[in-house]
Amino acid sequence: MTTKPPSSEDLLGQKYDRCLADFLVKAGVGFGAGVVLSVVLFKRRTWPMFLSTGFGAGAAYADCDRSFNPARIPGTRIISELEAAKK
Amino acid sequence: MYRVLPVSKLPSRATVRVIRRRLATEPPSATPKKRHVVRNILLSTTVLVGTFYVGSTFAAFQSEAYYDFFTENVPLGYSMLSYAESQHWDTMTLESLLASSKKSVESAQRYVTDTINGTPKTVQEAVDNAKQTKDATVKAIQNSKDRATGAVARIKTTVTKEAAQATAVVKHQGEQFSRGVQELIREAEAALAKGIDVAELPTTPEVAAPPAADSSTVYHAPLPIGFELPPGYARPTPPKKPEPVVEIPRLAPISPDLSSITSSEPIIAHLAGTIDDLTVYVEANPATTAKAASVLEAAKSDLTALAARIDKAREDERTELEAKLDEQTRDYTLKLMELEMAAQDRLDGQEQEFRRYFDEERARLTQAYREKLENELQTQTELINERLKEEVIAQGIELQRRWIREIKVRVEEERGGRLAKIDELSANLKRLERVALDNSIYLDENIRIHSLWSALRAVSSSALSSPVRKPFREELRALRHLAEAREDPVASAALDSLEASDVPDIGVEPFADLATWFANEVAPKVSHVALVPDQNAGLLSHLASRAFAGLQFKRHGLVSGGDVLSVLARAEYYLNEKDLDSATRELNQLGGTAKLLLRDWLEAARRRLEVQQALDVVQTQATLASLLVV
Repeated sequence: MTTKPPSSEDLLGQKYDRCLADFLVKAGVGFGAGVVLSVVLFKRRTWPMFLSTGFGAGAAYADCDRSFNPARIPGTRIISELEAAKK
Repeated sequence: MYRVLPVSKLPSRATVRVIRRRLATEPPSATPKKRHVVRNILLSTTVLVGTFYVGSTFAAFQSEAYYDFFTENVPLGYSMLSYAESQHWDTMTLESLLASSKKSVESAQRYVTDTINGTPKTVQEAVDNAKQTKDATVKAIQNSKDRATGAVARIKTTVTKEAAQATAVVKHQGEQFSRGVQELIREAEAALAKGIDVAELPTTPEVAAPPAADSSTVYHAPLPIGFELPPGYARPTPPKKPEPVVEIPRLAPISPDLSSITSSEPIIAHLAGTIDDLTVYVEANPATTAKAASVLEAAKSDLTALAARIDKAREDERTELEAKLDEQTRDYTLKLMELEMAAQDRLDGQEQEFRRYFDEERARLTQAYREKLENELQTQTELINERLKEEVIAQGIELQRRWIREIKVRVEEERGGRLAKIDELSANLKRLERVALDNSIYLDENIRIHSLWSALRAVSSSALSSPVRKPFREELRALRHLAEAREDPVASAALDSLEASDVPDIGVEPFADLATWFANEVAPKVSHVALVPDQNAGLLSHLASRAFAGLQFKRHGLVSGGDVLSVLARAEYYLNEKDLDSATRELNQLGGTAKLLLRDWLEAARRRLEVQQALDVVQTQATLASLLVV
């Protein structure tokens, strides 16, 4: 069983794993970029570091959410047939 | 009565005759009546009893009722009747009775003479000797004697015709002598006959008196003078006597004088009647009485005289006639005897001659007939032999022909029988063949069903009940071939659909694996997403569901409700009950994220259920087939 390709019940676990890994990578990349900017441009100020970490974490969340709900695309809305019929 | 005088007056020829006659004539003279009272009573009672028995016997033969009465109620009646029947009294006629009575009278007379002649023994002995010798001869010619008596009777009738006056006497005596008279005492016979004749008299009145009562035995023939009626016969009542008796009371004056005469002479009685009429007439006419009285008186006296005269003349005539009759009797007796003897001799001679002639004739005829018979016999024998020979030849030919025919028929029958047997055998063989074919068909069917069952078991064991999942395509192919060979459309369709899929290659998850998979992995993960909405479920809703699902109570058993946890509880319950079908149906109802998570498990369960259903169909078909075969 375990040798098989991942079965359906492990689908969510895989998504959670990928989301976590993506968050760590994007948050780390944002933190590094903020440290560089603060040292180079903003005289070692702290706020650029938090901002870029926040950007990285936000991007990771958006990707994860999209993976859980692939239909949720910005600017689009899925409507049911009943609702379509009402319109 | 009148004979007493002349006979006693006659000069005695022999002492025998005189004594016998006296003894014989004594009973009729009624003088010793008072001396024999006892004897008379005995005799009368004997006669009465005898008459009663004899008359009763005859009456019994006449009427059936009286016959019964007489045999049952009268003592000695039956023996009397049997004796009478043995003596043929019932068929007795008047003539036979007469003859038998004569015979009995004669025997009685002989006995009386024998007993009476006790005194004249010398003569009687001689007579007895002569009788003995005579009896010997009489017995020797017994047959001819009867014939001779017949002839004598005939001769007697001629004699009676010649002698008109003495006819009755001669006849009577002749009949009496017909059996008793013998040759040796021919001379003494006349005297003896008279003695017998008179000796008969005392018996006859006694016997004749009682039967006078019944009028059937009235003797109408004229009787000779001095003779009495035979026993059992009565004289007809004289018709003329009553007339004078009637008249006499009318003529009172005359009747006393004539009463003695009128009783014997009817003519005088008539005359007296006429005179009485006259007297009556005269008395009726008183005018002529005086004149007629003298004439009547004269007539009366004349009549009386006439009567006396007639009486006297009659008396004279009677004595004269008596003497003459005696003489004639003797003469005719002698003549009769001679004639009888001659006739008897002649008859004897004739009889012997006839016998000899008859014997000769018989012998001759016998001889002739025998010769004739022998000739006839010979010719008949030859003819019969000839015919027999021909018949034998014909029968031989006929038999041969019949045998040949019979043999042919037998051969035909035998052949027919054999053919029929062969037909029967072939029919039997065909039947056997059919039976064998049926049997082989049954056997084939059985074998096929058996192999089907075996294949089915193999498939079932490898696909369903094996502990691990493994492919079963080989087994399925064998089962499908067997089902197709049996031309079972249902099983074939089920197996075809099964074979077309890739299930046989992959194999089927065992039930235990499925249950474990569900319990350990599927059910917890599905319960984590129990609160995730079906649509627009993002990361946050998943995380929230995961966070709050752990707070929910875990449900167990067959619970109602459409939420995910209830459905999971029901599926678990069904799986515990080993009802994969129901569990699958329950889980199939779920939708959304849960359905996504359950997809793999449902697919595996559905594969197993498909194989199980197909195998169930095949098993049902095999069961049906096996039921049909048996």
